[in-house]
Amino acid sequence: MKKKVRTDQDHFWGYLMVAPTIIGLLVLNVYPFLQTIYLSFTNAKVFGKYRFVGLSNYVKMITNEEFLRATWNTILFCILTVPLGVLLALVVAVLLNAKIKGKTAFRAIFFLPMVVAPAAVAMVWKWMFNAEYGIINTVFHTHIDWITDPNVVIVTVAIVAVWSAIGYDAVLLLSGIQNVSKSYYEAAGLDGCNKIQQFWYITLPMVSPTLFVVLIMRLMASLKVYDLLYMMVGEGNPALGKSQSLIYLFYRESFVSGNRGYASAIVIWTVLLIGIVTLLQFLGQKKWVNYEV
Amino acid sequence: MSRWIKKGISVLCAMIMVAGCLTGCGGRSGATGGSLIFLIWDPGQKAGMEAIAEAYMDQHPEVTIEVQATGWDEYWTKLEGAATSNTMPDIFWMHSNQMFKYADNGYLADCSEIIDEANYSEIAVDNAKGSDGKIYGVPKDKDTIALLYNKDLFDAAGVAYPTPDWTWDDLEDASVQINGKTGKYGYMAFSHDQIGYWNFVYQNGGQILNEEGTEAKFTDPSTADAIRYYIGIQDNAWCPTQAQFANTGASELFFSGEGAMYYAGNWDLVNLCRTYPEMNGRWDVSVLPKCPNPANGDGRAVISNSVSYATAADGKNKELAMDFLAFLGSEEGQRIQGESGVAIPAYNGLEDTWVKTFADNDYQLNVECLTEAFDYSVKYVNNPSRPSWEPKVEQIMLDIYAGTVTVDEGIQKMQDSVMEAIAEY
Repeated sequence: MKKKVRTDQDHFWGYLMVAPTIIGLLVLNVYPFLQTIYLSFTNAKVFGKYRFVGLSNYVKMITNEEFLRATWNTILFCILTVPLGVLLALVVAVLLNAKIKGKTAFRAIFFLPMVVAPAAVAMVWKWMFNAEYGIINTVFHTHIDWITDPNVVIVTVAIVAVWSAIGYDAVLLLSGIQNVSKSYYEAAGLDGCNKIQQFWYITLPMVSPTLFVVLIMRLMASLKVYDLLYMMVGEGNPALGKSQSLIYLFYRESFVSGNRGYASAIVIWTVLLIGIVTLLQFLGQKKWVNYEV
Repeated sequence: MSRWIKKGISVLCAMIMVAGCLTGCGGRSGATGGSLIFLIWDPGQKAGMEAIAEAYMDQHPEVTIEVQATGWDEYWTKLEGAATSNTMPDIFWMHSNQMFKYADNGYLADCSEIIDEANYSEIAVDNAKGSDGKIYGVPKDKDTIALLYNKDLFDAAGVAYPTPDWTWDDLEDASVQINGKTGKYGYMAFSHDQIGYWNFVYQNGGQILNEEGTEAKFTDPSTADAIRYYIGIQDNAWCPTQAQFANTGASELFFSGEGAMYYAGNWDLVNLCRTYPEMNGRWDVSVLPKCPNPANGDGRAVISNSVSYATAADGKNKELAMDFLAFLGSEEGQRIQGESGVAIPAYNGLEDTWVKTFADNDYQLNVECLTEAFDYSVKYVNNPSRPSWEPKVEQIMLDIYAGTVTVDEGIQKMQDSVMEAIAEY
């Protein structure tokens, strides 16, 4: 009897302590999310006035060429940025872990893009990619319309996205690598493993949980790409209609055209897409992620 | 013991957070009768608005007015949220893009009583009207479009500077000569409605919408011809393509001496003078060239838009806000605004205050000719469904430029998009 009272009291204090976070989540995340789902079934435009219209936003969406293209652009952007970005980050992390002079300075340099405001990053890259006066076309003697050719612009933005993310991902992976016990390497060295083999059979399996986290985060971020496109491509660019991402389309429908209901449907689809991709990753992790230390 | 301390701390944290939310989310509870919030979207005009507020506060010591400036995008997100929750600022700017949306939904106070329409430019008064024809704001300013030209490039090519009698043909001739002799761009025609093709359409005697705003006129021959002409400018070697503009904007090309002419709004001029002091005296402005052989009319036109001051239909401090609105619309209030130099007052006869700013700051621009263009200016194209058709029309223009649709298909598509938006509204 006495014990039960004690448990209830513990529960009470437990709930009280997590209450600020839970209330915050409910008010700021869960409620707006449910509201967005509801809005996606309405014709909401402005001033919170709307009428229930069933599935018509979704029907309009999947028959709209612009939407299908935005979905493909988003997936293409992921394909371009995630494998390459994570691979490069892993390479950088391994190199930064090596015994080289000025290791700390290199780490700081690679982390720098994370500290700079994304808008500033986009503006500087936009100048470098300028077709007529940009340094990239000048140095390589090319005539590529980096930011206005609809077939190229996604690659351009992907390059900047990879560049911006490498440092952060590398630091996460580096912390994973540093947690690997030195004794494994010593043992492997005695058994005659070379550095490549050590990386392949020790570092990679041991760092796989971190790699998995990085992969998930990078995929989510790529599926939500918006700021770089807004800053580098932007309104008035002839390539925008052909290269916009789902979140950019959502922004234009919601805040430029004021079609909140339809925009909600787009964003719900984006959430589903992220959910599906993340689920697939969690199912796939059993095959390669190693949680034994 | 330590467990209790921990619990105490967490409870305290929770209480602070909840309390923070209560005060933070509760809104303006402490507003007294004598203080007003004045929200604007242009930080460049904050000093001017504060000068007007100061003048009002000198006459009414019991009132305090706080001017708050935000960015354009944030402004409209904020204002819409405030309107939905009935916590709009006491005084705010209203752009003609958004006028119908707010007025027709009943969020703006009727200002017919506090102003005399005859004092203001007709266009500015029209822009302050809702669909029902009532006035929902006090006219603030009026704007116009100018032809900017680089004197250095004209001199280098030996071409005479633009005159008010210039036609589209002169614009082309000068561009051909400048491009031929200096290799730089001539007239830079970028995809834009208000600063771009609308002017050409109305100069040719065409229309975008009919007078009532109930019908699109894109497919009318006089309109379609002008749009075709404007888009065709890009095919000349002396005009950058839209892709080039997306890399480097027309004003950047102009002020770096890569292009000789472009159109800009008068509201940009003071800021351009400030941004490029080393260019002072090496560029100037002129009125827009006219159409040489218009389908209707005399070939002259320039698009003019305006901003209004407004207050909420059922604001907490409505009485006081209306009094300050009346002051904003008075000759005194409008004069102070004109002297701030960024905008031309909507009040008739105060154009000089804006012109004078340039001379006072030794900015060598012949802006006086621009105020004369108000005689033939045309009201900014607008109707209640504009927010839904405008992005579509802009996209179709870019598609035409990119070559994914032909000009004629595009014009038909623009016509259909606008008609559809009008029907849906």
